[in-house]
Amino acid sequence: MTAERWITAALGCSIVASIGLVVTYLLGGQAQVEGMLLAVALGGLGAALVIWAASLLDAKPESEEVHPLASTQTTRKATLETLSPDEITRRGFLLRLLAGAVAALATALAIPALSLGPQPGRALFRTDWQGGARLVGADGEPVRVADLGLEAVRTVFPEGHVGSPDAQSLLIRVRPGDLVLPDGRADWAPEGCVAYSKVCTHAGCPVGLYRAEDHTLLCPCHQSNFDVLRGAVPTFGPAARPLPQLPLEIDADGYLVATGDFPEPVGASFWNMTHSGEAAE
Amino acid sequence: MKRMRLAALAIATLAVIGFAWLGGADAQDAPELQPGSPERGAELFIVACATCHGRQGDGAASGPAIADAGAASADFQLRTGRMPLAQPPGEQPLRKPPAFEEQAIRDLVAFVASLGDGPAIPDVKTDASLSRGMELFVANCAPCHGATAAGGAVGGGALAPALDRSPPRIVAESMIIGPGQMPIFDLPAEDGNAVASYVEFLRTSDPLGGFSIGNIGPVPEGFVGWFVGMGLLAVLAYLVGRDWRKAGG
Amino acid sequence: MLRWFDDRLGLASFTRSGLRKVFPDHWTFLLGEVALFCFVVLLLTGIFLTLFYVPDGTPVTYEGPYLPLHGQQVSAAYRSVLELSFEVQAGLVMRQVHHWAALVFLAAITVHMLRIFFTGAFRRPRELNWLVGIGLLTLALALGITGYSLPDDLLSGTGLRILYSAALSIPLVGPYLAFLLFGGEFPTETIVSRLFVFHVMLLPALLIGGILTHLAILWRQKHTQWPGPGRTEHNVVGRPFWPSQVLKSTGLLLLTAAVLAMMGGLIQINPVWTYGPFDPTTISAPAQPDWYVGWLDGALRLFPPFEPTILGITIPSPFIPGVLIPTAAFTVMALWPFIEARLTHDRADHQLLERPRDAPFRSAIGVSGLTFFVVLTLAAGNDVAAIIFTIPVETLTNALRVAIVVVPPLAGLLTWRICRELRRRDVERAAGERGGSVRLRRNAQSGFEEVDE
Repeated sequence: MTAERWITAALGCSIVASIGLVVTYLLGGQAQVEGMLLAVALGGLGAALVIWAASLLDAKPESEEVHPLASTQTTRKATLETLSPDEITRRGFLLRLLAGAVAALATALAIPALSLGPQPGRALFRTDWQGGARLVGADGEPVRVADLGLEAVRTVFPEGHVGSPDAQSLLIRVRPGDLVLPDGRADWAPEGCVAYSKVCTHAGCPVGLYRAEDHTLLCPCHQSNFDVLRGAVPTFGPAARPLPQLPLEIDADGYLVATGDFPEPVGASFWNMTHSGEAAE
Repeated sequence: MKRMRLAALAIATLAVIGFAWLGGADAQDAPELQPGSPERGAELFIVACATCHGRQGDGAASGPAIADAGAASADFQLRTGRMPLAQPPGEQPLRKPPAFEEQAIRDLVAFVASLGDGPAIPDVKTDASLSRGMELFVANCAPCHGATAAGGAVGGGALAPALDRSPPRIVAESMIIGPGQMPIFDLPAEDGNAVASYVEFLRTSDPLGGFSIGNIGPVPEGFVGWFVGMGLLAVLAYLVGRDWRKAGG
Repeated sequence: MLRWFDDRLGLASFTRSGLRKVFPDHWTFLLGEVALFCFVVLLLTGIFLTLFYVPDGTPVTYEGPYLPLHGQQVSAAYRSVLELSFEVQAGLVMRQVHHWAALVFLAAITVHMLRIFFTGAFRRPRELNWLVGIGLLTLALALGITGYSLPDDLLSGTGLRILYSAALSIPLVGPYLAFLLFGGEFPTETIVSRLFVFHVMLLPALLIGGILTHLAILWRQKHTQWPGPGRTEHNVVGRPFWPSQVLKSTGLLLLTAAVLAMMGGLIQINPVWTYGPFDPTTISAPAQPDWYVGWLDGALRLFPPFEPTILGITIPSPFIPGVLIPTAAFTVMALWPFIEARLTHDRADHQLLERPRDAPFRSAIGVSGLTFFVVLTLAAGNDVAAIIFTIPVETLTNALRVAIVVVPPLAGLLTWRICRELRRRDVERAAGERGGSVRLRRNAQSGFEEVDE
């Protein structure tokens, strides 16, 4: 087929497809049909142009000189002289003062950028947990120890703060004898009910996966593993800190209650996180 | 020669039809099913399960005790073909075609249920709220199985399987029993129905945007973007850019 | 017609010289254009999307036609994306074309950048354009990240959390910077509207300005060309801008748009209705960003749990792989023309390109860097690979940790060897044609070039 025939065919297909697009739209539209027709409409036109360029044009290769772009010394000197008349370049002191004024103004104009966000303050050191807060599930119902089966895992929040991003925690019930918690935390997990922050200490993703047989929490973002029986210490992956543990007790009615906030900041680490300042009790 | 070939083709066709009819027999086509019988189940159990699980389901050297596993657990494991085990012990049992017919499964389930007091098979309804189902699914199931239920690796050599072949009953049972590495999700019946309904919705609905490339997300999308998108465009750039006259057309 | 404009602007001779400008012909020179055309598609589809998208993070109740979300709390932004997908005619196609175009845009930029690198097109006097190009790459990355975060869905919101943590990890200024960027502690309702301003106004403006600069410099300096008959360091041989190149380029623009339209219609991408709205207390696995951010995610996955505290200052574990290494890598990339010029003492202007084999050192460094980037990108999909190939994800991760250290230098060494060998064969073949002898000298890139008698 000659080039002319190909171009005619391509343009013909394109026209038909464009009409088809209008019809499809008026009839209510459908994603796959629209995509294909658009592809044909555009592609036909494009193919026609390319074939035209390739076959119909009598374009022989040409040559064009490339001169070095650098200007002559004389021209450069003249430009520099125009740019820097004596009336400006001689006034050293005034120029320096001018530079200082511009810098000062720039700083003053840039300062309102600080309005974009509040100071971190102690926000990163605290969550909504405090002593006496009952553990509630995502539905707001307080958690009774009796209702928690062995190997059950639940996402819990402080009562009144359901959905709190930094207070979100995982409550897991294990056999009390299996727990090997760090010193001083023996009473943090009554009847094998242990709670850890759900915010990964690597980059802050919710640690949503639990391998029940291995008693291991897994964060799906970068595959950090945390050992539930050993105070959620990281056993694989890039997390370097254990998940903070929430101290728990069981109240008189059999509900699980926190006895304080997490002992260290939750979530991703930051440079001054060891400057505890006020204790998180 | 030609007649022989025709005959061979006819035999092959009949054989294929025959195998399909026999092998893929739908449970409902079988002669009238009866409710599971613990007595018949006991006989099957001795042959197929007792070696690993003990005669009374009290465990043996190579298998755990299942006396309190309940009907739900037995039904789940047998229907998804995970039991009898094909993987070496210690590895995660994977879904495969069930080894037993419908009646045999009912009998075995009845027997296991009679051994102790494990959970019963839940009565699943799939007309529950899809919206509640999605909320629960994304909060509880998506972290392991993926928001698209396409499955995921959960580390430690385990994987959370894709749910495309899990009908509502299996979904409901798995939440109650927490098979293998899966934890137990003890939801009220209404919520359990909602999750099962949503999974059924995911299973049976067509992708709305076109071909779904596995529904796993940006990884296959990236591969398609490179190999289909950039690949096609590189080819087009070559076709547009080459000197057709020199090459002769 | 021409007279009307010429009377007012006097452009006739300028126009003619422009139209007759010579551009060399090689298909690899069109790769940059492919990137540009992807951007054109992004702009046009983007304008459509902007007319429907609502940049508001305030929670609302979804009451649209997608049943599983009915009654759920979502952000206004998320709801507008669902409306666009299900209730606006051609909305879903436009969204999908836009997203595919973004993925392909960055792929095309990468391929174009590799072409420039491996052929030495960045050498003097084009170092400036290389810098502009790296700037364009950075802007394109930023546009991609801000763009896919606009729907405020579960997957992209998780990505934003990771970026927040990366900002947080910078010593001394991290918490201030993170709170400034996000408007408070993560998650905030304002981030979506801020990302919108960047994605729709600030970044496109900078990108367009950069593209125009990139093209203007190219126009002024003239395009490079392959060595060949009649081609020297002081001319450019090719075909005129009009009609030849304009027709071909316009055709390629339409064909690029056609490919992207086909993908947008036929292949689903980013089904945010299934991911659900962003909820900071849950997550979907596997979780990856779009491919062009994969290297960052892969670096975060592979880097070991190293979090020292020195003199009371903690260096959080995401800092080195997430901030330090990328900054270093981009700095080296940006400064490469100057680094290479210093190492090779090559201060001449170049109009001719080099085959990769003629610059073994550069090619080796390039392959090394590329391999590093590719391994990191693949590492971002380690959990997906674990499911597909049924390997434990820990084994795969450890293998990749070894690979990231071992493979790039090996690949570089191999490339060096292959270049030298190929060149040696070229010399032998040429020597054979000339009856056994040829004069050679080392060129500035430690390859060989023949000395004409």
